[in-house]
Amino acid sequence: MTTASLAVVAPRRAVQWITPPMLVLFAVMASLPLWITPVGLYDYLAVEVAIWMIYALGFNLLFGYGGLHSFGHGAYFGVGAYAFGLVQLGLAESLWLGLLAALVAGAVAGALVALFVSHRRGIYFALMTIAFGQVFWFVAIKWHGVTGGEDGLLNIPRPAADFGFISFDLANNRSFYLFVLAVLVLVVVLMWRLVNSPFGRVLQAIRQNELRARFVGYEVWRFKWAAFVGSALLAGLAGGLFAMAQESAYPDVMSVHQSGLIVMMTLVGGGLVSFWGPVIGVAVYFVARDLLGAFTETWLLWYGLMFVVIVMFRPEGLAGVFHDLRGQFAAATRHRGVSRSAAE
Amino acid sequence: MTLLPHILNGLTLGLLFALIALGFMLIVSVMEVINLAHGSLFALGAYFALWLIAPELAGFTEVADAYAGLPIALRYGLALVIAPLGVAAVGMGLEACLRRTYGKAPLYGLLLTFGAALVLEEVIRTVWGPTEQHLPLPDAINGATLFAGIIYSKYKLYAAGFALVAVFCVWLFLEKTPYGAIVKAGAHDSEMVRALGIDLGRLRMLVFGLGAALAGLAGIVMVPIWGLRPHVGIDIVIPAFLIIVLGGVGSFWGAVVASILVGLAVGLTGAYATEWSLISMYLLLILVLTFRARGLFGRKSILEN
Repeated sequence: MTTASLAVVAPRRAVQWITPPMLVLFAVMASLPLWITPVGLYDYLAVEVAIWMIYALGFNLLFGYGGLHSFGHGAYFGVGAYAFGLVQLGLAESLWLGLLAALVAGAVAGALVALFVSHRRGIYFALMTIAFGQVFWFVAIKWHGVTGGEDGLLNIPRPAADFGFISFDLANNRSFYLFVLAVLVLVVVLMWRLVNSPFGRVLQAIRQNELRARFVGYEVWRFKWAAFVGSALLAGLAGGLFAMAQESAYPDVMSVHQSGLIVMMTLVGGGLVSFWGPVIGVAVYFVARDLLGAFTETWLLWYGLMFVVIVMFRPEGLAGVFHDLRGQFAAATRHRGVSRSAAE
Repeated sequence: MTLLPHILNGLTLGLLFALIALGFMLIVSVMEVINLAHGSLFALGAYFALWLIAPELAGFTEVADAYAGLPIALRYGLALVIAPLGVAAVGMGLEACLRRTYGKAPLYGLLLTFGAALVLEEVIRTVWGPTEQHLPLPDAINGATLFAGIIYSKYKLYAAGFALVAVFCVWLFLEKTPYGAIVKAGAHDSEMVRALGIDLGRLRMLVFGLGAALAGLAGIVMVPIWGLRPHVGIDIVIPAFLIIVLGGVGSFWGAVVASILVGLAVGLTGAYATEWSLISMYLLLILVLTFRARGLFGRKSILEN
């Protein structure tokens, strides 16, 4: 196994619903609309970042916690986007119905694929997920009657968020951002509870040593299956939100490239060692895209090089770097404390 | 309707796939690295050849003018030799980066080469532009000919023959030369090979170079059929990857048989539903892997950990 792995199972204690890093994230994200335009970025970027954070958090359940490296996750994101669009265009213009459809479609697609892949591990798992991802992508491109082919579904409406007694119009990117943020908050809290639940611990045990987990008596493939479904469900939800954001759904999000991007973001951020890795990775990616993209056409080249360097020297990602720095800082202060007490 | 042209198409495609898959397999078995950048090396080979066959250096110097005045067949032949060497050099550079991931989980090699694929593709886009390009061919292998009673593309026959010869050469190299024996031994038990006094680092570098050169060669031969665009690398690496797993990791004949199977599946689906021809290989893979987890000829390998 690698030296880098998510925090070893801590002694049993009550898991908090809200933790300090969460509050920091929520504060930063909630204040975004106030400062994103003054720093030269734009509202829509915030929407995209929040959606991809949901996607990446779900992805890391599988990638970081389960140690199952899916390289075809774009499929479930895309399926969610199409489901949302099809409901809006063909059934009824309803936000809740659309998002429910996106989430269910992602989960069902994931559940089917997971039936095939949850007995696999390592590279074979990665390969099977690529193959399935390609199948979904291919179908999306070729099944013109339903998906609209290469162009995809266009002019998907953004229905208002109707709570019965009050209704919010989401047509404007700022109000839509607040809605996505609310979903993100919900996802962060629930995901935090999930990875710290007995289920999450078993999943980590499987990542560390699948054979041992099996001998302890867990039916390993069921846990892998469930993790896959949960992850695909969130990808579907994020896809539905993305269809709202783009007001369209198209096959490009299901390509190998896009599926690879979510892997890169999660790894760069430090998904292998931290709950917050995917969140950091998404923020870094989008900010890099916009800042580097402003200077150079070939920003993806630089991002790719950065990724290669991180894999070579720091596979624990940015979260790992923070962790080490904090460790060094703590060691330094402790050292200073010790020398002071020695001097006394 | 006769199926013969479709079977021929399938066989041609299968032989070309075999050429790519063999380079890929050499790297997998000796290095235990899934080289996702293999497709980008393939594309790079074709673009290098484009430089050599249709140079945009007219008027620079007299030497350049003289080169551009050479017959195209000669330039094509030169490209077939020089471009794969260039790709081999790039491959060796990649191997140097990969060294840091040896001994770690195979995931890191996969991730690193994925990043490398992205970088190479962007480099190609920057240097050669994002649009589809056309690789000029000598007249001798252009146009159509009458083959077994049907009119068939001369180029496809040439490509199939070329791939057949190249696959045979790889087989000769692996089975009949002492170098091949070392490569195979390195794939089987690298520690033992090192204990016998062979420089494992150099072996790996050379094998990676050889695999990359095969990819580049395949690129030059295949691109007139598949089209030359920057993302052709990703389009091609997935089938190569799939063939290796289908045939069983580390098996020469597994890779060849799987390539032909995949080629035929694509060719025959093309006969009935052109639109869906490429999906058949994924379905074939899912079918085989569901029942035979290690592929057709596979044995237990490092990649399962």
